[in-house]
Amino acid sequence: MNAVEWYFVLAALLFCIGAYGVLARRNLIIVVMSLELMLNAVNLALVAVANFVPAAAGRGTLFVLFVITIAAAEVTVGLAIVIANYRNRRTVQADEYHEMKG
Amino acid sequence: MKLIVALIPLLPFAGFVITLLLGKWVLGKRADVIPVLMATASWVLSMYVFVRVVADPEYVFDWNAFTWISSGALETTWGFYIDPLAAIMLLVVGTIGMVVHYYSIGYMKGDEGYYRFFAYLNLFMFAMFVLVMANNYLLMFLAWEGVGLCSYLLIGFWFRKKSASQAGKKAFLVNRVGDFGFMLGMLLMFLTFGSLQFTEVFADVGAAGPAALLGICLLLFTGAVGKSAQFPLHVWLPDAMEGPTPVSALIHAATMVNAGVYMVARSYPLYIDSHSAMYVVMGVGTFTAIYAALIALTQNDIKRVIAYSTVSSLGFMFMALGSGAWVAGVFYLLTHGFFKGLLFLGSGSVIHAMSGQQDMRFMGGLRRKLPVTYWTMMIGALAMVGIFPFAGFWAKDEIIGFEFTHHLYYIWVVGLITAFITGIYMFRLMFMTFHGENRSSPEVQAHIHESRPIMTVPLIILAIPAALAGVLAGWPPESGWIHRFLHPVFFDIESEPFGIVAFILLLVSLVIGAAGIAAAWYLYLQRPELPGRLAARFPRAYGASLNKFYMDEIYEAAVIRPVIGFAGWLWTFVDTRVIDGAVNGLAWLWGRFGRLLRPLQTGRAQSYALGILVGVVVLIVIFRIVEG
Amino acid sequence: MPGGDFHPVYFSIVAAWILVAGVGVVASRSVVRAAVSMVLCFLGVAFAFALMNSALLAIVQILIYVGAISVVIIFGIMLTETPAGPRHQFFNRQSVIAAPIVVATAVLVAVILVSGDLLTAGETAVNPGLRQLSSLLFNRYVLPFELVSLVLLAAMIGAIVLARREDRQ
Repeated sequence: MNAVEWYFVLAALLFCIGAYGVLARRNLIIVVMSLELMLNAVNLALVAVANFVPAAAGRGTLFVLFVITIAAAEVTVGLAIVIANYRNRRTVQADEYHEMKG
Repeated sequence: MKLIVALIPLLPFAGFVITLLLGKWVLGKRADVIPVLMATASWVLSMYVFVRVVADPEYVFDWNAFTWISSGALETTWGFYIDPLAAIMLLVVGTIGMVVHYYSIGYMKGDEGYYRFFAYLNLFMFAMFVLVMANNYLLMFLAWEGVGLCSYLLIGFWFRKKSASQAGKKAFLVNRVGDFGFMLGMLLMFLTFGSLQFTEVFADVGAAGPAALLGICLLLFTGAVGKSAQFPLHVWLPDAMEGPTPVSALIHAATMVNAGVYMVARSYPLYIDSHSAMYVVMGVGTFTAIYAALIALTQNDIKRVIAYSTVSSLGFMFMALGSGAWVAGVFYLLTHGFFKGLLFLGSGSVIHAMSGQQDMRFMGGLRRKLPVTYWTMMIGALAMVGIFPFAGFWAKDEIIGFEFTHHLYYIWVVGLITAFITGIYMFRLMFMTFHGENRSSPEVQAHIHESRPIMTVPLIILAIPAALAGVLAGWPPESGWIHRFLHPVFFDIESEPFGIVAFILLLVSLVIGAAGIAAAWYLYLQRPELPGRLAARFPRAYGASLNKFYMDEIYEAAVIRPVIGFAGWLWTFVDTRVIDGAVNGLAWLWGRFGRLLRPLQTGRAQSYALGILVGVVVLIVIFRIVEG
Repeated sequence: MPGGDFHPVYFSIVAAWILVAGVGVVASRSVVRAAVSMVLCFLGVAFAFALMNSALLAIVQILIYVGAISVVIIFGIMLTETPAGPRHQFFNRQSVIAAPIVVATAVLVAVILVSGDLLTAGETAVNPGLRQLSSLLFNRYVLPFELVSLVLLAAMIGAIVLARREDRQ
């Protein structure tokens, strides 16, 4: 197996760890953190490709830069929402937000 | 000629449109001018055509004005067909139509629907003219429906009166039954002959199978049974008396009801090749003749007596046509139109004088105050009973005699009995109305007066042909002018010479008719208490006759109740439970389905995220399989 | 490859580091411990980037992820109160179902990524210089660049608006 394939496996594992965190944790902050893990996994995969595929070198790096930037924006807004909700409901437990039930 | 033929129906149609649109606001009380003018003009044109055909009876005018339907194999036109038969019909329709228009000016004066009445009258004239001049069955049927429509409109003319509007409905519905038969007949005709044009169908008669021909003739006859009020579809005609008397005179005596007779006469080439059909026609006609006469015997409403008399006379016409006396039947149609129309108009004059009273038990002694009405109606009555030398004698007694000479002895006897009864009821009417002492209240009596000239002149005008038409057209019997005139139409009929046998037969029917008059004289003038005692002696016979042999009750029980019951069942079961059940059930089903799926909506974002993940995994797997 | 023949060794260390830290984020009961694990994970990823000849990205990773995003998240932790205690549930009801599904996903994705023939070239590590990167950024990809700055602006404003205290009387 190529070196790059190892990096892919790593990325996949990290992605799924993060996915589990998003799906299974009750604390919203931890959910956001797990989301960041998933994004990092994706970045890993991208950089792996950029590194080992000459044709994609510059663009791969750029793509990762953009992902990082957008991830930053997303965390900001996401946490702002969580805090705003917290002000109203005094809770950051994800399954206590179920007004749309049914 | 084409222009004239086209104008005959078009002028009244224009009159209808104009009067209907403008009548209420613009024309008001003078709404009668245009329709009457149109009727007169059409009469003039009809007379022109009649004279033209008289001059050359072999002349046949067959003109297709324009193509109406051209669809696959069916090609029908708006076309006109003028021959001696059509000419005679034009004479009857045009003359009586015009006379009734003038009469109506007087009779309908002050009515709030004045303009409507004349508009409908003109519409009727249009439809009737098209009917008698049509050159194919489909156009004739269109006009057939048109006159049916006008009949409905005019019977229910005083629509605020419940009984009138119901009578109109009854007329239309019963007619519809007959019309259905007519339509089936046309369908069969088209299947057999490939066309509905007279000339094409009649040329091809030999090629049709006897079963098909029988079917066509019987089905067409069903239409005639409806339109001409024969048993069992006669029930609408007495109720049609709810309409104004001019309507009864025009439509239900002289023209529309004759449409059935005309249709059978026109289909002569079809019927002579189907003896079974002719027997049916004859049977129905004969039965209806005596049946209606028996009912007329006990009716107390003056218009009902004349109505049942019309049914009986129409039965006579079908009896004639069915037994082969084609010319005599048409001859009777011609004369009957005049004297029956006269009788109706006269009764209208009587009703007018009696301030709306129609029950003869409250009349009496009117001959002194209403002389013109009396004498003209007397002529009509004598013609009706078949007394020499009035018109009815020649036609009716010729029919009766024909039955004998053609070995239809039972029919002959029934015809004589009917003639006898006709004499009784007709003169019962005359005696109860005009003779004796007046039996109404003093206020009504004070009001009795002869009608204005606008109404009496038409009576006189009609009395003339009622008196003379027989002599002029029918002498000598069996080989008179009318027989020669109609020979090109009824080409297989031989004119028979007038021999001693025929003379004796005529005498016999004359005597029978006179005997009927004598019986009426005895019963109603000499011994007026006798009819009451007879009725008491035979209560069931009297009741049967008075109640029209319970025909309406039979229909109610046999037809109307089951249909209403069926409709009710359809409502409570099919509509409520099946259809509503299905629709509601469907809604319930979707509700259940929704409730089933509701747990999926947890409201928690994480469960949705899980769903997304699962979906993505599934998609990946599918794509791998598809590509691999 | 950086590290030459020892590359696989370095890779194993970094991979273990990342994965352990990741599990630490997802599995710890305390939010603060999770945050610390996260930071460590980010560091590990930065090392991984460095291992793949991308020093630039490693630095950017540290600057932004460790430097900014982690701070934001810690702010969030400070501003909210997370309950704890003996009977408190840390994992939700679907955690049991989610586990096998996630595992299956991991296996699936790994298998697919590995079995594809993505690479045509060998293992030559190519490293675009900063000059080359910036020329790409400002010439060919200037539009995404501008759009991203818009997104950042919008995110800033949105976050401020969202997190504002509502004190109107």
